[in-house]
Amino acid sequence: MSVFSVEIFLVVFGLALLCLEALMPTITRRALSGISIGGVALAFVLFLFSSKSGADLPMFVQPYLQLDTLAVFYKGFALVITLLVLWLMVESSAYLTKFTTGGHYNELFCLPIFVCVGMMWMASAKDLVTVFVSLELVTVSFYVLVAFARKSNLALEAGVKYLILGALSTGVLVYGIAWVYGATGAMSFDGISAALANPTTSKQAALLGAAFLLSGLAFKVAAAPFQMWVPDVYQGAPIPITVFLSVGSKAAGFIVLTRTVTAFMAQGSVIAMEVQTLLILGGALTILLGSLPAIFQTSVKRLMAYSSISHAGYLLLALGAGSARFDLNAGGVVAFYLATYLPMTVLGFLVLALLRANGGGEDLRDFRGLAKRSPLMALVMTIALASLAGLPLTAGFMGKLFVFIGLVDQASWGALICAVIGAAAGFYYYFRAILAMYTSDAQTSGSMVWSTGTKAGAIVLAIVIVVIGVYPKPLQKLLTPKAAAVATH
Amino acid sequence: MITLNHYLIVSGMLFALGLAGVIARRNILIIYMCLEMMLSAANLTLVAFSRFRVVDGLPDYAAQSLVFFTITVAAAEVAVGLAIIVALYRAKQSVETESVTKLQG
Repeated sequence: MSVFSVEIFLVVFGLALLCLEALMPTITRRALSGISIGGVALAFVLFLFSSKSGADLPMFVQPYLQLDTLAVFYKGFALVITLLVLWLMVESSAYLTKFTTGGHYNELFCLPIFVCVGMMWMASAKDLVTVFVSLELVTVSFYVLVAFARKSNLALEAGVKYLILGALSTGVLVYGIAWVYGATGAMSFDGISAALANPTTSKQAALLGAAFLLSGLAFKVAAAPFQMWVPDVYQGAPIPITVFLSVGSKAAGFIVLTRTVTAFMAQGSVIAMEVQTLLILGGALTILLGSLPAIFQTSVKRLMAYSSISHAGYLLLALGAGSARFDLNAGGVVAFYLATYLPMTVLGFLVLALLRANGGGEDLRDFRGLAKRSPLMALVMTIALASLAGLPLTAGFMGKLFVFIGLVDQASWGALICAVIGAAAGFYYYFRAILAMYTSDAQTSGSMVWSTGTKAGAIVLAIVIVVIGVYPKPLQKLLTPKAAAVATH
Repeated sequence: MITLNHYLIVSGMLFALGLAGVIARRNILIIYMCLEMMLSAANLTLVAFSRFRVVDGLPDYAAQSLVFFTITVAAAEVAVGLAIIVALYRAKQSVETESVTKLQG
C-alpha cells in the first residue's frame, strides 16, 4: 500500500463526514467530533505503516508527486497538527457555540480534514500546477474556517481581511508562476532548475517571475513585507483556527518555499544570488517587523501573532543561509524548526483557550496570578513561552541555534545582528508574560477547571518541548536525507 | 502581426489595473472584481507563453492545463468569498472597507 492511498482515504472520509452531518440531523456533535478525530488518527496509523515502504508511488502520479524524506516528514506533520486542531476545537466548544448561528457548527469538522489533504499533496508536489491546486485547497478551506464564527464581529472581520489578502496573494502567485514558466518553459521543479542553469535563459524574466512567486508565498507564511494581515486575522479567528493558520499554513507555505527555492538556487542557476539576497533581506526584515511591535502588545493573542511573524523570519533566514551541517540541508533545518515550533505554539494557544473557557480574556492582565490559580497550567505555559523565546534546554533553542550557525557559516553578519535583536526582544516580551503569571495580584480568583484529558495533553506537549531541547538527535535523524545518511555511515 | 510582447503588455496592464483597484477602491465587492481581473491577467500571460512556445509543431500545453485549474479555483474562491461578503453585509449593512476596522492595536 502506498502513502498515496492515505490521502485518498482522507478525501473520502472528509466527504463522508459532510454527508453524515447533512443526512443524519440527529447525530450529536460529540459523536461527530469523535468520528473525525478517530478517522484522522486512523489515517495517521496507516501513514506510519505505509511511509516505510518507500517510494512506491503508482505510475500515473509519478510525474506529479514525489516521496522524499521531506515529503514524508511534512505529511506526518500535517496529520499531527490536524489531530491537535480537532482536539482544540473540542476544547473551545463554548466559544464556537456562542458565536455560530444557533450554536450549530457540526459541518466545521470536515474542513480541517480537507486542509490536511491539501497539505499532504503539497508536501510531495513535483510541479507548480500540483502546488497551486493543493495550495488553493488549503487556502479556500481556510477562508471558511476563519470566518466560521460569524456571529462574532471580530471573527467576521478577520474572515473578510483574510479573504481579500489571500485572494490577492493567489493572483500574485499565479502571475509569478506564469512568468517563471515563460522564462524557463517548464512547470516541474526539475525542469525549472535545469533551464535556470542554462546561461541563455532570460535573467530578467526569470527574476520577475521569481519575485512575484516568492511574494505570493510570503503572504502564506506571514513574511515581511506581506505580514500586515497576520495580527488582525490571528486575533479575530477562533483559537483552534489561529493555531492551524500559525502552524499548518506556515508549514504548508514553507514546504513549497523549500521546493521552489531549491529549484531557483540550484547549481549554476542564473538567479541564485538574487534569490538568496531576497530571502536574507526578507528574513531579517520579518524578524524586526515581528519582534519590535510585539514589545508594546498587551493582548497575548496579538503577541502570539507577532511571534509567529518573527518565527517566519528565522525560517526564511534558514532557507537563505542554506546550511549543510549536522546532516541537515536548508530544507531539513526549516523542517526541524517547524517541528519545534508545533508543540510550543499549540501549547501556548491551548492555555489561552483554557483561560477563555474559565471566563478570562486574552490580555496580559488576565494572566496575572495564574500560578496561584493553577500551578500546573502556569508551569506548562512557562515552558511554552520559554521555548518560544529560545531558552536553552527547550526545543525553541535548538531550532534557533541551527539558524544562527547557518548564518555564521554564510557570514551574513547583518542578518545575524537582526536575528540577535529579534531574539533579545523575544526574551523581553515572552518573559513579561511569564512574570505576569507569577505575580500575586490576580484580577479574578478561583481555581481553573480543566479536564484530566486536557491536562494529560498539555503535559505531553510540554514534555515533547523539553525532550527535543535536551535530545534532538532522533528528530535530526528523521530529517537527514537518505543519500547523506548512507554517506556518513 | 500580433507578437508575444503585445500579449504580455496587455496582460501586464490588466494585472497593474487590478492591483491598483485593490489598493484604491473602498467597496469590497469592487475589490473582489479587481482580484478576479488579476487572475485573468495571469491566465492571459500563461496562454500567451504557452501558444508561442512550440514543441514538435504544437503549442506546449503544460501551461494551458494550469489555466483550467486557475479558472476552477477562481470559481470556488468566488463562491466562498461572496458568502463571506454577504455575511458581512448582514452583520454591518455595508460592504465598505470602513466597516472592517475594529481589529487594531
